[in-house]
This record gives sequence, structure tokens and C-alpha cells, in this order.
Amino acid sequence: MIWSIAWKNVWRNKKRSLVVIVAVTLGIIAGVLLVGIMEGWINQRLHDAVYNEISHIQIHNNEFIKNEEIDLTIRNLHEITRSIDSLKELSGWVKRTKIIAMANTPWANAGVIIYGIDAEKEKQVTEIYKKIVPDGGGYLDNQSARDILISDKTAELLKLKQYIVTDSMIEGLKQEKIPGNVLVKLENLKDIRFRSPKDFKDEMKNVFSRKELDSYGLLITGKALDYRIRNKVQITISDKEGNPVQGIFRVCGIYKTTNTGFDQASVFVNAGELANLYGGNDILTHEIAILLNNIEDAGFVKEKLDPVDRDNTVRTWKELAPDAAMMNDFMIMYYIIFIGIIMLALAFGIINTMLMAILERTKELGMLMAIGMNRGRIFKMIMLETVFLTVVGAVAGMLSGWTITGVLGKTGIHFTGWGEGFEAIGFAARVYPILTPEFFIFITIMVIATAIVSSIWPARKALKLIPVEALRTE
Amino acid sequence: MKVLELKNVNKIYNSTEVKVHAVNDVTLQFEEAEFAAIVGPSGSGKTTLLNLIGGLDMPTSGEIIIGGTNLSRLKSSQLIDFRLNNIGFVFQSYNLIPVLTAKENVEFIMTLQKWPREERDERTYELLKAVGLGERINSRPSKLSGGQQQRVAVARALASRPKFVLADEPTANLDSKAATTLLEIMEKLNHDEKITFIFSTHDPRVVKMAHRVITLEDGKVVSDERKE
Repeated sequence: MIWSIAWKNVWRNKKRSLVVIVAVTLGIIAGVLLVGIMEGWINQRLHDAVYNEISHIQIHNNEFIKNEEIDLTIRNLHEITRSIDSLKELSGWVKRTKIIAMANTPWANAGVIIYGIDAEKEKQVTEIYKKIVPDGGGYLDNQSARDILISDKTAELLKLKQYIVTDSMIEGLKQEKIPGNVLVKLENLKDIRFRSPKDFKDEMKNVFSRKELDSYGLLITGKALDYRIRNKVQITISDKEGNPVQGIFRVCGIYKTTNTGFDQASVFVNAGELANLYGGNDILTHEIAILLNNIEDAGFVKEKLDPVDRDNTVRTWKELAPDAAMMNDFMIMYYIIFIGIIMLALAFGIINTMLMAILERTKELGMLMAIGMNRGRIFKMIMLETVFLTVVGAVAGMLSGWTITGVLGKTGIHFTGWGEGFEAIGFAARVYPILTPEFFIFITIMVIATAIVSSIWPARKALKLIPVEALRTE
Repeated sequence: MKVLELKNVNKIYNSTEVKVHAVNDVTLQFEEAEFAAIVGPSGSGKTTLLNLIGGLDMPTSGEIIIGGTNLSRLKSSQLIDFRLNNIGFVFQSYNLIPVLTAKENVEFIMTLQKWPREERDERTYELLKAVGLGERINSRPSKLSGGQQQRVAVARALASRPKFVLADEPTANLDSKAATTLLEIMEKLNHDEKITFIFSTHDPRVVKMAHRVITLEDGKVVSDERKE
């Protein structure tokens, strides 16, 4: 019956209870969304780090890690590859040549790391082949000679990314229902070649109003973008003797991941083509990247591979991308901090409401004690009222938060204005919030804990009432 | 059979300026099934005496013995349980639990005492029928008149078959008709259930119906009359 009284007491002052319930609901929605976005970002960062950049495990020559010189290849390669092939946890693995290089075009140059890869095998380990931008050519082909895959960022640095307004583009924009006056203004930019996004954006600012830019700027910029596919890029590296050697490669495709830093540094060619450049009979292996079936096995597999050759270093994704590892490990801390702050704020509202309820019901509580309701039951009743009040809001908040996160998890949230900033630190500009069952368990525990803690003060206040005095209050 | 005994009970309130002797050397005994009224002018100590008997307040000196238990020797937590199992209360302003129905209010104490559901239901219907509210068992207090609420309060007080019922000015907020009905019901229950009723009252109708009238003045018992 105490449960029933507590539940009914929650609805005695509907308006006041609803204010608290709505506050809890909104607080939980905010918490769920915040954590969902955070979890989405961390998940995306971890996925992209593993599947685009570092895989689960990498092996290098000990000295290569300190000094990336061409002759510091992996030691005892045959033995290592045999050990890798025998791993039960293995999903795929690749060998790579990795050399620091200078890339030049007639208009610009940039320092890069050139990876010599087996393009087909690489697909088992990385998803770069899925990251080719629209109208950005294609992925490397094992058969194609002297092709190079570069990133959107490298293309920008090498001025292989240009913006040009053409008749066909304007025709295309007409289908997108762009207003006529905007298309007329666009004619002013026709056939002018802009070699950087900044130049093009600056010129657009001169031509269009702010409102037009906000509405159509992104669309026009996207349509005007033209990658100079098949353009030549000169790659300069040092051969084994330290002499500079040059080779000409043609851009076969442009990729773009969520990490500008990685994109800016990494270009890919067929390993055989790179070997032709540095000379020698063999393809050099500076790096082995291993993808496992389960990320949790990385530490265990490292322990298996470590003893194979002590001249090599085996590193897991946690060592290769400590930022992603740290965020992953600290996710529970983020939960506690975010939800803790929200719960703390809500606790004060709940305490205030319950104290008011106790004050209003002083006489009734005195009567209950007089007729024989002991302190334990009074405490339980107040605590249950607080828990019900909070849990109703929390359930509403979790359901709403789950629905909103579910929708946003499909559509994504695009942080248009901050895209470049996010990508510079390896985060996607479009985040897909994720909620895990663990989070729901966690938030349920936090809500109930908050309710119980919030009930202590009002309940103690009720327990301090002296029945004979409480009965005298009006 | 003796259900309640007061031996030289005193209650003195020490305020900063004056000492108030609210109950002064009261010695009384109550037998089973008595229907007694404590009367006296305002400030004579009626309510204080009732609070002492009910274990809601502690005497400054003297002993209150209920069914062989000296209340002064009980801790506050034991006192609550003692009240639950031995004393029924009827308050001037009804004091029902507003979120519960008449039935739930009556069975509340039995629930605290962990009565089996069947026995609880049987006792609740029996009492509500006895107080004339057999048709209103599912009404909340806000849907009942003052007289009906006080009848529910009487049923609640009797529910767990206490040793006695203390009623503090039970008719004070009722009109004449409702008060008479209530008193008739209480007298009948006193007779049927053999439970002692002790009232504090100003109401002459209560005095008229009481079998015993104890008069207090300045905290002292000045008369204790039993009617034939």
C-alpha cells in the first residue's frame, strides 16, 4: 500500500509534479543526445582510424619508428608473415613500402608519405577504396602503371583541385531549381579557373549576397569543383644510397577520409612502381598492417607476435592512435561527467519539490506517525515518491531521447560550419549518434541513484517531525 | 478488565517565562468497553491528557500503563508500533489520507499490521457498513461530507481492534445531525466491539451520551462521574 500511496501522492499536485517531470525529461533527452553524439563521434573516429589509417596492429623495424629511412625494413619478414598467417584471429593483412617523399606539380609542391601497396590486398585491410570522392576518378589498379592515389587535401595543396563554372554546370543547376537571378550572377564567374577553394569563395562573396551564399553557396561550390584527374605529379624520394630520384605518376583518383591530417600526408602507388623508382630487385616492406576479426584481440595477438623478432616492434591500435584509444577508454568517464552534471542540476529541482510537498503535508505526516506508521515506512514512502517522480521523467526522456537519437542516427547531424575544424582532428563533420544498451543501463542506475539521494533530505525532514506538533499545524 | 491506568501523571511545559502545569497529578483507570468523556474549559489540559494517553507526548512524571506496558519505558520507535497495535485515533479534523478511498483508509492500519487480505477486506466492509458507508467504499475523502469523513475515521480507528480509541473533539467540526449520527454509531460500536472510547470534548451531546464524565480544571481532575 505504501507504493500505491507514494504513486498517488506524486499526482496530488499535478502541475508541480509535471514541472519536475518535464525538467527531468528534457535533462535526460539532452544527456542522451550529448552522449549519443559523443559515442557516435568516438565510434566513427575509432572505426575510421582502424579501417582507414592504422588497422588493429602494425609491425615496423624498431629503428624505422625512430627514423623512417628507406633501408630500415622489417626484419625476419618470412618468419613474421608465417606467424601472421597462422593467427586464428586474423581478418586480413598487408605489407607496405613507406617512404617520405616530395610531391610536385607545375603549380605547387607538398611533403607526403608515399605508400607502395598491393591495391587489391589492401582492400582486405583498409577502406580507402570506398572513400573515392564523386567525380574523383577511381581507386588504384594493380595493372595500371605509374598511377597515384592522392587525397582531396593533397589535391588542394598541389592545386589539382580547381573550380570552374561551365555552361553544362549552369544547365545542371537549372534542374536543381536555383533562382534565375542567381544563375545570371553565376554567369559572371563562367570559364574562370580558380585553383583554390579560398579564391573561388572570395569571388563568390563579391558576386552573391550573403543570403544567396547561405542558400546556394555549398551547392554551387560542389558543382564547380573539378579535380585534375590524370594530371602528372612528380614524386621525389631518396634511394638506398641517399640520392634523390624522381618519378612521374598520374593521378588516378582522389580519396577523402574524415581525418585531414592523414589525408594530407598519405599518397598511394603500386608497390612495384615504387620499387622501380628506388631501384633494387625486391619490394621493400617497412610496414605490416593487420586487421583482426575482433578489436578486443589486439593485445593478445600483439603478445603472440612480439617474440617472433625482437628487432621489430608490434604495436596495437591503442599505441598507434592514442587519442582514439584514450577517448574509447574514457567514454564511461564522459558518461559520468555529462549525466552527472545534468543529474546534479535535476536533483536540486527534485529536492525543492519534495521539500515543498513535505511542508504542505506536515499535518498528514504527523497523523500517519500518530496512528502507527513507523519511520522506516515514512522514509520509504518519501523515497518512493521521489523515485516515481524522477523515473516517470526519466522514462519519458529516455524514450524521447532514444527516438530522436534513432532518427538522427540515420540522417546524421551535419556540423556544416565546423566541418574543416572537425576533420582536421580526425572527426567527421557529419556525426551519427549511437546509443548502446550499456548507456541505458548506466542512465537507469544514475536516475535511480539521483532519486534516492534526492529523497534523503526531504525524508529526513519528514522523520524529524514530532507527531503531536505536526498535528497542530494548519 | 482494566485497559488503561494513569498514576500521578504530571505534564509541565517549561517556557522561558512561565511554567505551565498542563496536567496535574492525574490518576485514572479505564475499564474495557467504557464510553468516557473528558470535559473541561479551554486550556484545562484535555488534549494534553489525551496526547499523553495516546503516547504522542511523554509525562513529566507519573506512569501511564496500557495493558501492562508502561509507556514511559518505551523508545520512540517502540511507541509508534505500540500505538499501531493498541490505540485508535479519531481527530477533530478527520485527518484521512486524501489520496486513498474510504476502503483504503480503513484498511491502512491493517495493512501496516500485515493482516491477510481476506480478513482485511472482511473487517473493512463490516466497519464501513457499520458506520453507514457501505455504498461509499470507493469514494475519496474529498467526495465525502465532513460527517462521512469522520465516520470513516472512526472505522479506521477501530479497524485493528485496538484496546481503546482516543477521540479529540470528534464532533467539533460537524453539524448537529452529523454529530448525532456519529455519536450513535460510536456508541453502537462501543457496545458491539467492546472497545473503550475516550473523548475530549466540549460538546454537550457527547457528555449526554457518555457513560462516564471526567472533568478537568487547570490540569486536575475535579470530578469523575459514572452514569448508571
